[in-house]
Amino acid sequence: MSVAGATFDAVEPGDDLPVITVDLARDYVKAHAAELGMAFPRFTDEEGAKLEGLPGQITPGNMTLALLARELLTWAPGGRVLRLGTTFRGLALAGSAVQLLGTVTEKDDERRTVECDVWMETAEGDRCVIGTATVQLP
Amino acid sequence: MGFADIDRTVLGREYDRLTYPPITADELIAYARTLGVTDPLYLDEEAAKQGPCGGLIAFPTFVVKLRGGQHMPLEVAREMTRGGFDAGKDIEFGVPIRPGDVITATSTITELFEKTGRSGSMWFAVFRQHLANQNGEMVANVDSKMMQRTQAAKEAAK
Repeated sequence: MSVAGATFDAVEPGDDLPVITVDLARDYVKAHAAELGMAFPRFTDEEGAKLEGLPGQITPGNMTLALLARELLTWAPGGRVLRLGTTFRGLALAGSAVQLLGTVTEKDDERRTVECDVWMETAEGDRCVIGTATVQLP
Repeated sequence: MGFADIDRTVLGREYDRLTYPPITADELIAYARTLGVTDPLYLDEEAAKQGPCGGLIAFPTFVVKLRGGQHMPLEVAREMTRGGFDAGKDIEFGVPIRPGDVITATSTITELFEKTGRSGSMWFAVFRQHLANQNGEMVANVDSKMMQRTQAAKEAAK
């Protein structure tokens, strides 16, 4: 596993990013949804979400991708995320804990960038958000 | 009228352009703080002056807040009714946003396509917000993929 403070020279394909656990507390999700200008019932309120046919309050996709970016920059402070692509495959329910994981898949010596697979995993092991990223490392 | 009938000349046509008021440091800090970011580069103007960018910058995904004025063109909005959802995003990041930057978002649709999965047939629309700063530098290209089940798939699910 690659530790936080990753540098280009120290990283190799196959390295795992540190696993980060995030508590998607309801108030945390609600506050960030409001900050995003997405204070819709599905993101702010358990009952409101159920009225929309959802199992409960959910986390905005825009927040889940931001958490994956946070994971990358926690791993590589001083690095730059050049691209981040995500697919929202399932629901990240507020009031639950998720894990952020990733692995280095490629290294480009010329650009000093790495390609990473990143994903968010529920307590049940479902990958509710998957993605790939290009990161320029210090 | 359905998704298949949408005039494909909509592809690539700019349907929205919005220039935001100058971005403030408070906006950048509020975004990073509510996300739970701890790096002072995104939170502390004084500390960030000693950092690699010489000042405070936006946490990269701040760009998703800049969604433009009109979410989608009317001919697509008519078909993307209740039940559509955000299927994912692909963001290319350019120069970072700094306090005082004036960002212009221009919006186009880049793709409209149908895909059949386990739960039936679905329509996808990919919207691109191109964000540029006051110097004409690319800040980000944000591609958002919206998904809508076809009418047949909705009826089959009932």
